[in-house]
Amino acid sequence: MACNTRNKYPAQVFNNENHRLNLYGDNVEVDYRGYEVTVENFLRVLTGRHETAVPRSKRLLSDEGSHILLYMTGHGGDEFLKFQDSEELQSHDLADAVKQMKEKHRFKELLIMVDTCQAATLFNQLQSPGVLAIGSSMKGENSYSHHLDSDVGVSVVDRFTYYTLAFFERLNIYDNASLSSLFSSYNPSLLMSTAYYRKDLYKRRLEEVPVTNFFGSVMETIHTDAAYKALSRRNSGRFEDEMSLDQSVHHIERRMLIKVNDGYEIHDINPEGEEGASKCPWSTFRNKFQKAENVDSLVNYGLVAMIPLLVISTWLVQ
Amino acid sequence: MALLRRPLLLLLLIVTHQFLQFRIAFGSVNEEGQKQEEFYEELLLKPLPDRKLLTHFHFQSSAPPSTSNGRHHHLFPKAISQLVLKFQVKEMELSFTQGRWNYESWGGFDPIPSSNAKPPGVELWAVFDAPQHLIDALWKNLTHTLSGLFCASINFLESSTAYSAPEWSFPPASGKLRYGTLPREAVCTENLTPWLKLLPCRDKAGISMLLDRPSIYRGFYHSQRLHLTSTGSGSEGMDPGIILEQTLTVVLQPDSQRASLAHASEKHIQPSWSLSSIFGKQISGRCVLAETSSVYFLLDKGLVAELEHIHKENEKSEENVLISEKFWNNPSFELSAKPDRIFIEESSLLSKNASVLYKFEIEKYGESEPFDLGLFWKTPVVWLCQQAPLHANRFLMGSGNERGAIAISLKSTQSSEGFMGSNSNDERCELRVDVFQVVPWYVKVYFHSLQVFVDQQPKAVSDIIEKIHVSPSKDKVSPGVMELVLTLPCSVSSAVLTIEFDKGFLHIDEYPPDANQGFDIPSAIVSFPNFHARMVFLENDSLNKSPLLSKFQEKSPVMSYTEVLLVPLTTPDFSMPYNVITITCTVFALYFGSLLNALRRRVAEEERFLKDKAAKKMDRIPLLLSKLSAKLRGRHLEGPQAPPASSSFINSKSVLKVILIAGLAVYWQYYFS
Repeated sequence: MACNTRNKYPAQVFNNENHRLNLYGDNVEVDYRGYEVTVENFLRVLTGRHETAVPRSKRLLSDEGSHILLYMTGHGGDEFLKFQDSEELQSHDLADAVKQMKEKHRFKELLIMVDTCQAATLFNQLQSPGVLAIGSSMKGENSYSHHLDSDVGVSVVDRFTYYTLAFFERLNIYDNASLSSLFSSYNPSLLMSTAYYRKDLYKRRLEEVPVTNFFGSVMETIHTDAAYKALSRRNSGRFEDEMSLDQSVHHIERRMLIKVNDGYEIHDINPEGEEGASKCPWSTFRNKFQKAENVDSLVNYGLVAMIPLLVISTWLVQ
Repeated sequence: MALLRRPLLLLLLIVTHQFLQFRIAFGSVNEEGQKQEEFYEELLLKPLPDRKLLTHFHFQSSAPPSTSNGRHHHLFPKAISQLVLKFQVKEMELSFTQGRWNYESWGGFDPIPSSNAKPPGVELWAVFDAPQHLIDALWKNLTHTLSGLFCASINFLESSTAYSAPEWSFPPASGKLRYGTLPREAVCTENLTPWLKLLPCRDKAGISMLLDRPSIYRGFYHSQRLHLTSTGSGSEGMDPGIILEQTLTVVLQPDSQRASLAHASEKHIQPSWSLSSIFGKQISGRCVLAETSSVYFLLDKGLVAELEHIHKENEKSEENVLISEKFWNNPSFELSAKPDRIFIEESSLLSKNASVLYKFEIEKYGESEPFDLGLFWKTPVVWLCQQAPLHANRFLMGSGNERGAIAISLKSTQSSEGFMGSNSNDERCELRVDVFQVVPWYVKVYFHSLQVFVDQQPKAVSDIIEKIHVSPSKDKVSPGVMELVLTLPCSVSSAVLTIEFDKGFLHIDEYPPDANQGFDIPSAIVSFPNFHARMVFLENDSLNKSPLLSKFQEKSPVMSYTEVLLVPLTTPDFSMPYNVITITCTVFALYFGSLLNALRRRVAEEERFLKDKAAKKMDRIPLLLSKLSAKLRGRHLEGPQAPPASSSFINSKSVLKVILIAGLAVYWQYYFS
């Protein structure tokens, strides 16, 4: 795509009009491109069901300790994402693939980021634990592009992607930013949509999860001629404590994971787990009202409610 | 004595051990005569007549034959040697190309166009060293491995509709050759990255440092090619040696704005350029793992003839300035660096002129003194590159979505002065042309409709076509292959081959997402086996053998590729399945709905039934009581009691309830007030 003859700057993809950052770089490698990007190949990569001749570089090769980042962008809508203008990926297909991955222990944690119109509907059907999902807009909202580069002739970047990239460009290698700071950095008025995320399936607290859990960090290596010096006694003790805490956390998680897997059964999505649902009695009353199929029972309720009213009115009259 | 003997013995042991170690280390080179792995890097620069510059990077890596177990590589890429061993590849070439080689301007007779002008997209061919029945399976696995290695969709060549087996028209002619192309494959940085990772120095040192990605992909033509040959048969216990040749050919336009503005008024002077102006970088040192690292600057024989002519006109002296020591006082151009060696091509019988090659060794340059070659033109020069005997073009004829015709036209070029003279002894001078064309199965070619026109006169097919091999296409199984040998008279000015075809139908799943663009017919290959594109530059010292110059000396036939044709096929309306499902379901729903209605529905049946029931029960109060109890029971058992079906009944029920409540209220008020 970067070398398309219509690109005025071949082999360069920019995220900004000022052309300061070339995202395509010099060492990029792409495994699936062109006509190979189909829903079938995508689901094959996720579930690992390849033909025998497919080489290792085209397989996901993840195991039960892997953290996977799945980033999808393009055109989409209510519970679907468009592939190549000829087919769609549906939310229940994605949920099924993730469920298969979980059953086969192909990931420990999965972060799904979707940047399309009505992106949050794409992960409505997810039920597997260990999955964190964020979409750039909710049902009924569109996601917009950020700005138009009149030199290249197209909009260079979408708003959600732009602000995600801006967040990461502000960090240096010593920052310990957490996922909650990333998710709260999205401003709905700047995005012109509500970035909605779903954490009911993810058991860790977002303040404790660093962004490097999913996003790889590019470390600058400094060559030194001197030998590596071991840490002093004082520091090493603290280091060991941190290590053990980490291990115990993992231990707890693993135990929890096993427990969940043993007693796993399909249950309805708890509406209170979702962000944005209020606990107001009016809404519960409205829910019950909507669920009522029997006009009959409604009238009965009305009848019962009216009798004390009658009693009070006659007592007042008397 | 015993005490003294112990340390003496120890000392003796240590000394012999060291000596043995030395012997073993040198033994691998000297005694057994085994060669080491070698790597050469070279760059060739050649100015082209239409103000462009050809840059040709040539990297060669060789691994000697060794024992099967314990094959260690320190320069040669292990991925390639594993590929050769696993798939028993004898020779293979894979090229990624973007752009079209302009044969009219850039020439067609040199070794560079013959081996480096490739069809657009991906071209892969391989010769295997295995029994015939295994070759298709090996080809399939090879395409998958290469697609993983080079980040391209080469795995589309696995299906039998995508590859073919030419028998004798495609060099190297062998029964175990498989050939496939993907004309629409894009080529970008992600294909160059793994190609560079096969080099020992990657793109961090040596000549490959020049490879600035935006500059390469901005060129008019760029082609990266990988050619490997395994030498020696795989005898028992010995793995064959492998020679891996990687070339990158880029045709660029030097930015004339970056050149000096002094001669801005002289528009017809060729633009001046330097390595830093076209690539933005300089060569700061050689790759230390390379045996030789050199840059060549080639002046075409046509250009040399023009320069000598200009020089003779101006200076009126016989001295050949180009090879003399004072060449930088050349009135035509100026080079910014002094060459280390100057080669002149061995003049062949075909032409009087000879090309001139300047060689620059990179060994003496380094970080502090980078190598930057620049060329500054002083006078306008116009020349022609040597062309192939006939210039091949291909186009489509006909209109509509049902049928059409393919035409291959061969026009004679006027530049080559020599080939007429080569066979002038014979009265019947004949020019042999080989044509190899693969057509996908959905373009159904009728081979009986093949017609030949020579100098715009129709000729009988058997007069012109000496040998023909046709493999007709089978629907969805194999493409149509045509191999021809034409013998044309030497004085031919134009020849045209036409063949008619019908357009076939594809299944809806077989259409690509952009089906309305059309479908590609890959390039045809036109070769002239009697003409050899070679340039011989004799080197005096055989110690420093340059693989690039050895390649130029090989006798390879002159080859040219025609254009890729785009055939518009009939595309279906892709929304039709959805439309069909919607219409069918609507029809079924209407039919079955009305059928059930007609059979089972009785109008106002429930009301009549209840009226009858009410008429049976004469008393009012038990009726009301029963209704109340039914209400109470209905409130507690929800679910099994289905609500009444018809709407009229609900209405009457609610009206009754309202009346009941009103009656209760009135009675209460009246009784207690």
